[in-house]
Amino acid sequence: MKRQVPLALCFLFGIVMILTQFVPHKYVQALYKEFIDWGLIISPFALVLAVITLIQTHTTRVRRRTEHWQYSFLVFAGMIIMVCVGVPFGEQDSVFVWLYDNVQVPMDATMFSLLAFFIASAAFRAFRARSFEATLLLVTAMIVMLGNIPIGDLVWNKVMSWTPWADGASGARQWILDVLNSAARRGIILGVSLGVISQSIRIILGIERSYLGGGD
Amino acid sequence: MLERFMNMDRRIIFILIALVVIIPTLIPIRLPITVSEPTQKLYDYIDTLPSGSTIMIAFDYGPSSLAEPEPMAKAVMQHCFSKGVKVIGMTLYANTPTLAHKLMRRIAAENKAVYGEDYIFLGYRPGALQVILGMGTNIANVFETDYEKTPITEIPMMQNITNYDQIALLLDLAAGSTTGAWIVYANTRYGLKIAAGVTAVIIAQMYPYLQTGQLIGLMPGYLGAAEYEKLLNVAGGDGTVGLNTASYAHLLIIGLVLLGNIAFFVHRRKEA
Amino acid sequence: MIKTTQWVAICLVLCLSVSTAFSQESAAPSNVTAVDTPNDDGSSITIKWDAAAEDTGISGYQILRRIADGDLEEIGGLLPAETTNYVDSSIQQGTAYTYIVRAVTEAEATVDSEQTAPVKGTGEWFHTGKTPLFVAMLLFSAAIVWNIYNARSGKEIFVRRIPGLEAVDEALGRATEMGRSILYVLGLGGVDNVATIASMTILGQVARRTADYETPLRVPCNEPVVLNVVREVVKTSYLDEGRPDAYNEENIFFLTGDQFAYAAGVDGMMIREKPAAIFLQGTFAAESLLMAETGNSIGAIQIAGTDSEHQLPFFIAACDYTLIGEELYAASAYLSREPMLLGSLKGQDWGKILIFLTIVLGVVLELFGVNWITTLLQRVS
Repeated sequence: MKRQVPLALCFLFGIVMILTQFVPHKYVQALYKEFIDWGLIISPFALVLAVITLIQTHTTRVRRRTEHWQYSFLVFAGMIIMVCVGVPFGEQDSVFVWLYDNVQVPMDATMFSLLAFFIASAAFRAFRARSFEATLLLVTAMIVMLGNIPIGDLVWNKVMSWTPWADGASGARQWILDVLNSAARRGIILGVSLGVISQSIRIILGIERSYLGGGD
Repeated sequence: MLERFMNMDRRIIFILIALVVIIPTLIPIRLPITVSEPTQKLYDYIDTLPSGSTIMIAFDYGPSSLAEPEPMAKAVMQHCFSKGVKVIGMTLYANTPTLAHKLMRRIAAENKAVYGEDYIFLGYRPGALQVILGMGTNIANVFETDYEKTPITEIPMMQNITNYDQIALLLDLAAGSTTGAWIVYANTRYGLKIAAGVTAVIIAQMYPYLQTGQLIGLMPGYLGAAEYEKLLNVAGGDGTVGLNTASYAHLLIIGLVLLGNIAFFVHRRKEA
Repeated sequence: MIKTTQWVAICLVLCLSVSTAFSQESAAPSNVTAVDTPNDDGSSITIKWDAAAEDTGISGYQILRRIADGDLEEIGGLLPAETTNYVDSSIQQGTAYTYIVRAVTEAEATVDSEQTAPVKGTGEWFHTGKTPLFVAMLLFSAAIVWNIYNARSGKEIFVRRIPGLEAVDEALGRATEMGRSILYVLGLGGVDNVATIASMTILGQVARRTADYETPLRVPCNEPVVLNVVREVVKTSYLDEGRPDAYNEENIFFLTGDQFAYAAGVDGMMIREKPAAIFLQGTFAAESLLMAETGNSIGAIQIAGTDSEHQLPFFIAACDYTLIGEELYAASAYLSREPMLLGSLKGQDWGKILIFLTIVLGVVLELFGVNWITTLLQRVS
C-alpha cells in the first residue's frame, strides 16, 4: 500500500495535468487552478518541515559534540533574531531592513562575487590548446571575451585591421552567440526536453519508482 | 619555471583579479562604448511609447546579484520618467521586495517622480507561475494592495489598469530562469511584450528568444546598462563604471590564458 | 463687395462641413465583428475591425459594450490608433453582448461603428491550435511505451558508452581506498523537478555501492521535501544491499534553502572534510562553479551532470566528467541496466529522429519556397 497509493496518485495527477494543457474548458481549467492552489498550500508545510529538520540536525550536533558543533549556536541565533524581528514587526521594520541590508545583502553578494575569482582560475586552467577541439574552444572564448568589452573592439580593430574582419570584436561575438551558441544550445535543449518527457512518462506509468524509496 | 607558471597557485590569480577590480573602481578610466542592437531596440521601444503609457519591471534577482541589474533598472526608469511613462514594479523573488522598493524610491526621488502617480511597487506574492498567469486576468486579484499596503483600487495610476492589456512592456531584470516563465506564460498566453536585462552569466540562454522575437530587447549585464546610459547621455553611471571594471578583469583573464598557452607550447617543445 | 465676401465665407463653411462629414464617414470603423474567442475557457470575446486609412486622423479607439437592451458601457480605455482587435475578458459566461467600436479623432470627435450581432462566450473542450502538439505528444509517448514493453521480451539494447557514468565505480573505489567520504549534491531543484528525481535515481545506485564498500556518503540538501525523499532512497539502497547497519541518517541533512548560503555550506564541507569523490547531479544555477571549482581545488574526482545547459561550460571546465543534458536522464537506465528503462531510451531516440527529419524537411522545403511546416509550427501556441 505504501507504494501503490503514491503510484496511483502520481498516475492520476500526471494524466489530468497533461489534459489541462489541451482542454481550455472552464471545468478543466478550474481543476488545473485547484491543483496549483494545492501546490501553494503544500509549500508552507515544506517550510515548517525545513525548520524542524534544521533544528533536529543542529540539536543532534550540539548534543553529540561533533566537530565544529559550536557553529550550530550561530544557526540558532540567526534564526531566532530574524523571526523575532520579522514576524511581529513586518519586513518594512527598520531593524529588519538594517539586518537585511547589512547582513544578508553583503553575505549573498560576497558569495556571488567569488564567481569572478573562480571563473578566472577555471579559465586559466581549462583554456589550453591541447588538441584541435581545445584550440577551437580557446579561440572562440577569446573572441567572445574581447567582444564583451568595449576595449575589445579597439584591440580587435588594431590587430585585425589588415583582414576583412576588421569591423569590431562585438560583431564576431554576436555572430558566435547567435549562430554557433544557439545551434549547440538548441541541440542540447531538444535532447533534454525529450529526456524530461521520457522520464515523466516512466514516472507517470510507475516504471521509474526509485524516488519513492522503500516499503511495499 | 614554465611548469610552475602553468600550475600557478590559484591564490595569485585571485589577488590579480582583486587588483584589477579595485583599481579601476577607485580611478575611473572612461572607455568608448558601442551600443549593441538588442539594447538599442529596447531603448527605441521605450522612447516611442506615448506619454502616459505604463510598463512593468520585474525585479527578479536576489541581493547576491544586484550589482548588474540595478544599473539597468536605474537607466530604464530614468528614461521612463523623462518620457512620462509610468512604471509598475514587482518581484517573483521572496527576498527582493525590500531591495527593489528602496531602489525604486531612490531612483524616483532623483527624477522627481511621484509614488502612486508615476510609479508603484507591488511587492511579492508566492507562486511565480500563479502570479504571472493571475495578473493576465486581473492584477488586483493577485496584488490587492501594493507593497505599502494601499489598496490597488485607490492608487491613481492604477485606475485605468486592469491587466496586461494596459501594460506596454514587461522588463524582466533577472539573475535566474524567470525570463523564460514570463515569455511562456505572459507573452505566449496574453501577448504581453517582453524585454529582459540579465546578468552576464546567463546571457547566452537569452539569444534564442531574441532571434524568435519573443524578446523585443535585451540588456546583457553591465554592458547593457552602460549602453543604455550612453543612449541616455549619462556620464559615469553605475553601469559604465561597472563595465570598466569588468573590462580590465576580462583583459587580465585573456592575458593569463594567452601566457598560459605560450608557456604550455614552450614546455611541450622542450619536452619533445 | 460685402456680398462677395459673405458668399466666399458660406462656400468655405460648406466645403469644410462636407469634408468633415466625409472624413467622419471614412473614419467610422468598418467590418466590425465580435466572436467568441476560440480555444479559451469561454471567458472572453474578441472584437475585430479593419485598420483605418492613414489620412483619417484617428488617434485611438474605444470599445463600447451593451448587454441585451441595457446601456452602453465603455471598456478597456483608449486603444492606440494602430489597434485592430480587442479581447474583452471581463464578460459573464452565458450572457450575450453586442459591441460598438468608437473611433476618436485627433480633434476629439468620435465616430461609432455599426453595432455587432449578439455573441456569448463559450468554453471549448479541445484547443485546436495545439493539435500538432497533441499529435506529436501521442506519437512520442507511443514510441516510448512501445519500446519499454518491447524491451521486456529480453532483446538486448545497445547503449553507447557514457564516460561520466563509467567513472562512478572508479570514483567510489578511490574514495574507499583513501578512506575518505563521498559528497553527493542534488542541486537546487525540488521534488517537482524532473532533474532532481533523475539525480535521486543515480544517488540510489551510488548508495548501493557505498553500502557495499562501507564508504561514508554525505548528502547536504537544500529542500526539506527532497531531504526526506533522499533519506528513503538511500535507506532502501542500504537495505537492498543487506547493510542497514551501515546507513547513517545524520549524513543526509538539510543545509539551507538559500542558493548562495547553500553553496557556502557545501564549499565549507569540501574544505573541511576533503571528500575523495564529489557528485554534482541535478539542477544548478550560478552556484555551480563555486562548488565545482572548490571541489577541484581539493583534488577530488568530480562527476557532474545537469540539464541546466548554461551551467555545462563551468562543469566541463572544473570537473573530471560531465553528464550533458539528457545523459542525466539516461543515467538510471545506464547504471541499473533494467530492460524497461533501457527501452525508454530507444523511444527517446525515435523522437530525436522524428525531430531531425522534421527540421531537415522544413529547411529543404523553405529553400524551395514552400513554408507549410514553418507555418504549422508557428501556429502551435
